[in-house]
Amino acid sequence: MTKALYTKIIITLIMLFFSVVMIVPFLWMISTSFKMPAEVFQYPIKWIPAQFIWEHHVKVWTGVNSFGHYYLNSLKVALVSTVGAVLLSALAAYGFARIEFKGRNAMFMIYLSMMMVPPQVLFVPKFIMFDWVGIYNTHWALILPGVFTIFGVFMMRQFFLSVPYEISEAAFIDGAGHFRIFSRIILPMAKPSLATLAIIDFSWHWNDYENALVFLIDQDLYTVPLGLQNFILENTVDYNGMMAAATAGIIPMILVFLIGQKYIIQGVASSAVKG
Amino acid sequence: MKTSWMKRQQYLGYLFIGPNMVGVMLFFIVPALYSFYLMFTDYKFMSSDTKFVGLANIQKMLGDEVFYISIKNTLFFLLSVPVSIGLAFIVAVVLNRSVYLKKLLRALYFMPYITSGVAVAFVWMLLFHPNNGPINGILKSFGITNPPGWLSTMDSSMYAIDIIWIWFMLGYNMIIYLAALQEVSTELLEAAKIDGARAWQTVRSILWPLVSPTTFLLLITGLIMTIKQFGIIQAITQGGPGNSTTVLSLFIYQNAFRYYEMGYASAISWALFFIIMIFTVIQWIGQKRWVHY
Repeated sequence: MTKALYTKIIITLIMLFFSVVMIVPFLWMISTSFKMPAEVFQYPIKWIPAQFIWEHHVKVWTGVNSFGHYYLNSLKVALVSTVGAVLLSALAAYGFARIEFKGRNAMFMIYLSMMMVPPQVLFVPKFIMFDWVGIYNTHWALILPGVFTIFGVFMMRQFFLSVPYEISEAAFIDGAGHFRIFSRIILPMAKPSLATLAIIDFSWHWNDYENALVFLIDQDLYTVPLGLQNFILENTVDYNGMMAAATAGIIPMILVFLIGQKYIIQGVASSAVKG
Repeated sequence: MKTSWMKRQQYLGYLFIGPNMVGVMLFFIVPALYSFYLMFTDYKFMSSDTKFVGLANIQKMLGDEVFYISIKNTLFFLLSVPVSIGLAFIVAVVLNRSVYLKKLLRALYFMPYITSGVAVAFVWMLLFHPNNGPINGILKSFGITNPPGWLSTMDSSMYAIDIIWIWFMLGYNMIIYLAALQEVSTELLEAAKIDGARAWQTVRSILWPLVSPTTFLLLITGLIMTIKQFGIIQAITQGGPGNSTTVLSLFIYQNAFRYYEMGYASAISWALFFIIMIFTVIQWIGQKRWVHY
């Protein structure tokens, strides 16, 4: 018995060691953002700086291109997109899962096939179309397409399929229509799934670098990933500043992860296992 | 029984799906069709005369040296997928049974997946710094006098990208494996234990075969996810040095938005679509075979 106990402790320690290796980039980033320039590449690595230097963080958060501004841009884009995406996905998913109508399967096949189309196919035509209607180089170029997520429809549909149909039947007998059933019964039941989708969707939009890269040019409109890239291009040798900027970019996601961990992990796990 | 009421208020189906369908139309279907048309033109941004050029773009692609380089780099990039899956399987098996602090460990391994975008790519850029970076610092302290130049030399840059990507995907794969391992019956494992099976025997002849549908799923979805990825590479190397990290999806991006060869970029993007379609078809066939393993 004691031998098994020892084994378990040793395995735990080994796994703990490797898990620290996994988050070392984050630790190094934060540590470097507080160091003096000369300490950045000191070896052996000094994890706790001799003296905490705040000036790199001050540099990132003040001045003409402050991260405060990028934060507001990112928050605007990510929040509006996420709210819209969750709402529209839930609606469409209800239609796919709980109403039978002509053409439903054909429509679903279209959704399935669109999942195969990589963003690279869509960038050029979207670029031309957005330029044409005048939303290129505005936040709408990120928000409007961001509101529509095929993944979200699939995820919510999966959940709605799992809700017993007797519930709907009983409500129908009581005289409720689809809208009442959707808003009063099904949606409240789906709260955990909605939360999961919201968190995952928000993190996508927050981290989205590729769309911003293609559709934004004005620095004034930059979201956090572009702002970060810009900061790094302008401060190529200021490694401490770079890491302070990277910290600014990552901290919100770490917070979101800590708060919503349960939902994120459940959501990721269920979405893939059910295929 | 259930169909009788499901068929009532049919028209509402269109109302529920309608708003989403409009967006899918505008931002997926129409652009996809437009791109398909652009593939056969010499469309360039800001140039007014666009001609229909037939298959010229595809011919150009097949004669383009960089296209083949990008395919080679993409294949090397895709190698990170099975490596990450293998590591994730090991981590998941250990976390599933024989450790303390299970939840904490799970969260730590998963953290890179949820928190990283380009921000963390810039951190890796410094970690891989060829002269004084911490990674080479560690290698040197282990007596490796001539460590690789990582992102700064052509023959090692893809390795660095693969390492970053393995690190990123590991947590995702692990979570999916953990979910799959929960469904393996404990009786089966008890029986194996009673029969005197050693730990690694149980893993090899019970767990690994039982989660094979999950492995297959992770492999295909991982390949698709990886082949579409270019943000991290664009952010830290822009495809360099030379073209040593230009993967196919980055090659498309650069043709479209660095050289504004948008017709040509469209043609290459359909080559990418074609590859993804093959992966997807393999997935459909495989899933049918593996519904009941």
